[in-house]
Amino acid sequence: MNTRFLEKEYDYVKPATLDEALDILAEKENVKVLAGGTDLIVKLKTDALEDMDIMMDINSIDELCGCCINADGDLVIGATAKISHLEKNDDIKAAYPALSEAMHAMASVSVRNMATMGGNFMNASPVADTAGPAMCYGAQVCLKSKKGERTIDATEFFLKPGVTAAEDDELLTGFVIPKPADNTGAAFVKIGRVKSDIAKVSITAVMEREGDTVKSCRLAMGSVAPKPLFLADIGAGLEGQKMTEELIMKTADQIRDFVKPIGDHGTTAEYRKEMSGLIARDCLMEAWKRSGGELA
Amino acid sequence: MYLNHLKPENAPHGEEYCTSMIGKNTHRWDGPAKVSGTMEYPSDVYVPGMLYGAVLYSPYAHANIVSVDTSEAEAMGAVCLTYEDVPKTVYNERSVSTPAGTYRDRIILPNKARHVGEPLMAVAAPTEELAYKALHALKVEYEVLPAVYDPEEAMKDGAPQLYDKIFLDEEEITVKNNVGVVRNIYEGDVEEGLRQADRVFEDDYSVGRIYQAQLEPKAAVVKPEVDGSLTVWGTCQSIHACRQLLGFLFQKPLSKINVKKMPFGGGFGSSIHVNTVIPICAALAVKSGKPVKICNTREGDFYSHNKYPTKFHVRLGVTNDGVITAGEVKALVDFGAHQIQPLPYMGCTAGWFASLYKYCGNITFEGTAVYTNKTPCCAMQGYGNPQVNFAIESMIDEICNEMGFDPIEFRLKNIRTIGDEFWAQGPTVRSIIKSSGTEEGLIEGAKKFDFANRGKFEDKTGKIRRGSGVARGFHASGTGGPKPGEVIDYSFATVKINEDGSVDVLTPVTDHGGGTWDAIRKIVAEVLQVPLDLVGLSPADTMNTGYDVCTHATRGTYCGGGAARNAALRLREKLFVMAGEMMDEKPDDLEVVMDPKQHQGCVQVKGYPEKRMTINEIARNAWIWSRGTLVHSESYRQKNAPPCFTVHFVEVEVNMETGVITLPRVLIYGDCGTPINPDLVKGQLVGAFNRGLGYTMYEWLPTDEETGALLNKGLFVDYKTPTAYEMPKVDNLQVELCKCYEPSGPFGAKGIGEAALASVQSAISNAIYNAIGIRFHEIPITPERVLEALKEKEAQA
Repeated sequence: MNTRFLEKEYDYVKPATLDEALDILAEKENVKVLAGGTDLIVKLKTDALEDMDIMMDINSIDELCGCCINADGDLVIGATAKISHLEKNDDIKAAYPALSEAMHAMASVSVRNMATMGGNFMNASPVADTAGPAMCYGAQVCLKSKKGERTIDATEFFLKPGVTAAEDDELLTGFVIPKPADNTGAAFVKIGRVKSDIAKVSITAVMEREGDTVKSCRLAMGSVAPKPLFLADIGAGLEGQKMTEELIMKTADQIRDFVKPIGDHGTTAEYRKEMSGLIARDCLMEAWKRSGGELA
Repeated sequence: MYLNHLKPENAPHGEEYCTSMIGKNTHRWDGPAKVSGTMEYPSDVYVPGMLYGAVLYSPYAHANIVSVDTSEAEAMGAVCLTYEDVPKTVYNERSVSTPAGTYRDRIILPNKARHVGEPLMAVAAPTEELAYKALHALKVEYEVLPAVYDPEEAMKDGAPQLYDKIFLDEEEITVKNNVGVVRNIYEGDVEEGLRQADRVFEDDYSVGRIYQAQLEPKAAVVKPEVDGSLTVWGTCQSIHACRQLLGFLFQKPLSKINVKKMPFGGGFGSSIHVNTVIPICAALAVKSGKPVKICNTREGDFYSHNKYPTKFHVRLGVTNDGVITAGEVKALVDFGAHQIQPLPYMGCTAGWFASLYKYCGNITFEGTAVYTNKTPCCAMQGYGNPQVNFAIESMIDEICNEMGFDPIEFRLKNIRTIGDEFWAQGPTVRSIIKSSGTEEGLIEGAKKFDFANRGKFEDKTGKIRRGSGVARGFHASGTGGPKPGEVIDYSFATVKINEDGSVDVLTPVTDHGGGTWDAIRKIVAEVLQVPLDLVGLSPADTMNTGYDVCTHATRGTYCGGGAARNAALRLREKLFVMAGEMMDEKPDDLEVVMDPKQHQGCVQVKGYPEKRMTINEIARNAWIWSRGTLVHSESYRQKNAPPCFTVHFVEVEVNMETGVITLPRVLIYGDCGTPINPDLVKGQLVGAFNRGLGYTMYEWLPTDEETGALLNKGLFVDYKTPTAYEMPKVDNLQVELCKCYEPSGPFGAKGIGEAALASVQSAISNAIYNAIGIRFHEIPITPERVLEALKEKEAQA
């Protein structure tokens, strides 16, 4: 290990077009994609990457770096759009507050200036802050290769630590995140050691309200499982229920009892478990409030 | 007119700087170069033809090197350095203590690893890339030995032994049960003092191992000259200490070693000793005959030095009317695999403890420092002061709570203040306190902070509990005293008036970033009454300066500035003699004043200001008439080490559900005597608060007991220091400078650097007690520990 400079020898390529990038992925072995580099370079320096022969920098590919609302009113985020741009984006702030909050909660300013949501996904850490909001907002992950294009639901994207559903020849080109329905409230809550740290534990809730009942609810957590955890059943269990403080407390307890986190250098398993219930409560309350709901 | 071109309109700050600048905020001399990235640090030094070095660090906590094979690395074109190649001189890299008080236990590259990260071999090659390739090509066979990480385990019979023999000065010492140093200090009669007390408080406190976390990892460039001498550019807090050590190791006269003074990116104590890469770099340069550069990695730096973790057992006796009758501290220090060096560390710790309160003169300190197979520990901002302050100021808070004393009044009743004896750096460095800001800090601070209305934890309810705490501390300004003690302390300065009346200052004193160089320039400008922007700072090295011990012990401004002031005063006498001859006046009748219109210092007749010459005129005439250069060099020892005091008021909010603690409000009183540059003093107080916050709540360096490696592997990825985000908001972080004047200091100045940290830990912990009624005896106080303690308390209730 040597953090002073990169000892590993590799080829560096910077394709100017998407086609060129896909050619490289199709033809070459052991290609790693450089988006922001805030994980890749750290891994390179700490000997965590063994099988990289080519580093492919995708920051010159124009169509990957944007962020816009498309004709259907959905949010489109390019793979290389910088977190610091996205967190300040007014459309995201207004319609996708949980995503905006998660991005703002990530790391430090300098890291966010480099980091991308595409990289956050491909790095596939169980801690990934943007994973929860993406899964809860129903994001589709766009993958492209020489063979064609496909989308995967964000909830199916993560397989295990560092491993995703993307094939070796596929490039993550971006995300399409459907427009939330009216009366939707969402929140993201995270506990870290310091602000610039990864999460000890995090949670996202996206809730659609109909009167005083929950029309739909999607929940996801970070740092409590080997991959970002989508709590499909617990979220679905709230559907059609009249929202009360008791319901929130019951759901929070249910979440705390359900998760099986491990202890590591960041915190203990017990603390993670206990905080899971706590931030679940806060997050559900905030999301419900933001949906326009009141607590009976 | 030639050499008469200095005009106010050409001055960078106009007339602004043509007045006394002591106590006013001025632009940093090195600011523009630092913010524009043009300042040259050791890692920026390039010498044509130089090789790049890399160091092999031990993967094992305790192992013998059985064999090495360098053939493959050499075939790649690398110069390899092993145990066989280095001088076997046993050394201690820290030389601020006298040789009689310095244990020596290491050589440049040993054949036995005693901690993970110990430098064992090194290579040099024409590129850094090749050097690291060659490093990987080194073949080493180890015999792995059992290791010990806990100091109490290390002292048991049968525990793995790190050393058989070490040296104290010239004497060979046998190490038994890994005990490196025992230091016991007794004054008065503690048992008798405790008998006179109405209550005796007894408890344990523990402070963890952390890392200095200075910005700059260490670097060195060593160039062997044709005549056999060595030129050195390195990360050094003392150029002269570095020169002495290299002379000692390579058996060269000091006149054959020249160490250049460089700016450096912070030290926090980690460069008081000569950094491990410098002798390695020198040995590579000697072997290869070429200049060699080594820039350490961050992980290499993490394994080079940590802060001393210490366990304290404390007893204090108190009478019902609030007098502390005796104080006893027993300390167990886990200092790691080398001594850098725990003997003075324990002496200083005893001194800080003894100087906090009077204890009716009944003081006992018993310290034991133990070798373990961990990173060696060295100074870090306070040298035992923040450690023991946490223990004592926590217990003082406990006493006040238990016995119902007002924490301000109780402290005022028991403190050492003006007229009392102060142990500046252990029992042998004592002086009498002549100025004290403690009273102002405690009394005014309590009012400003509304401390009296902090309430009791028993009355606090809700999810967020707010509490306030106070603690006080200090540090010595330097290590001087009326008599020489166990710490060497003197400094040096040369001041020279140039042919146009501008001034050059030459000082061996280094600047960690706190602004010492600016302070020295301002002191000289003030003595000579020359506009500050006409005072330049000369490049300095060990050949063109006299000895200065080190910029450590909060001594830069007080001792280095003291030497500069004295040199300037002597130079001013020479100026008056020369001016007297030119003006036909007696030197004693002359004085210096600043003239903003001419942007010059002037010499004038006292009481008759119409008769004057500018210093430009005097110096220019001296040049034209070949009268010589006005210059004076001075080697100077400060005969005091006055304490600079701090008082910290801290408000915390404890989240009862998460255990997370935030700091809504902080008030800091700092007494540095006259603040030469107030903003820089405040900057140190704020910066130190941040480091103390990290020490108290976030930072620690646990060891993986399977491998002996640091759990964070020496990476910041898993070593979180607080940033601005964790600090109180700017408007709620108030810093006040006490109105104090130190008679022995240059223009009344003392230091501040280490005092700024001393009482942060205890103030935060005392505030936590006021919020939730839980006394923490160990730092860091993490959310996990807070929740656990809250649960325990609930279970007991």
